[in-house]
Amino acid sequence: MKRVEIKLNISAVAPLLDIIKQAADDLRGQLAIRTSFPEQDEEFNETWTAELLAGQNSDVRELLGLFGSDFFAEGSIAIDSHNSDSLLRGCSALRIQILSHWLQGIPADLLEEEDVPPEAIADAVRVPFAAYTFLDQVQKIILEHLDPLAAEA
Amino acid sequence: MAETKTRNTPRAAKAPLPQRSEVWRVVVLNDPVNRMSYVVMVLRRVFGFAEERARKHMLEVHEQGRSVLWSGTREQAEAYVFALQQWHLTAVIQPEPPA
Repeated sequence: MKRVEIKLNISAVAPLLDIIKQAADDLRGQLAIRTSFPEQDEEFNETWTAELLAGQNSDVRELLGLFGSDFFAEGSIAIDSHNSDSLLRGCSALRIQILSHWLQGIPADLLEEEDVPPEAIADAVRVPFAAYTFLDQVQKIILEHLDPLAAEA
Repeated sequence: MAETKTRNTPRAAKAPLPQRSEVWRVVVLNDPVNRMSYVVMVLRRVFGFAEERARKHMLEVHEQGRSVLWSGTREQAEAYVFALQQWHLTAVIQPEPPA
């Protein structure tokens, strides 16, 4: 089983976790993406939403679980092929929520850049933006090192 | 090819719909968040696309805002849309226009 351990600077990551946890709280009762339902059937749509929400909550919990007491003791997180799918989805859900809650005023081209200078981002949203890019980097590491399909490419 | 953790669609818990003869499309829409490599990975997982085909759809979404990924029965189209939504991609089903 492939496993990746990422060493992080605790003092740099801690403020980002406040944003990530707030986004996770926001998502507890709502889906990150606006869902379109294939049926005009209320019961069907409720079941559809509930299933998606259960999966989303499970994925976000998995991600938050990386940053428990072990992280604050050792400063590292471990990702392997058992949790990588959940973490990829959890990062995606949280990034969507952070974007819609804090980063609506940031131009799309800045959001897509990998090395944005801090001064390009307003002070008020610098930490949410850092959380947004941090989760992007976690996804990037998983995709580069743990995606089982990547080896076939 | 379905990814391993995909849950059943809500359809599984309901009585079957009346037969419908139309062909339905699965369309994925652009979003400003998910990185390109993530979208390619999801398309490969959900549809079993080869890397090249998944990348072609991803670029189509990026440049044109949408890409038709698959067409076929409504029930299967719904299952694909559900799987895409589990990965937080915005996807819809649409009836295929008559030829």
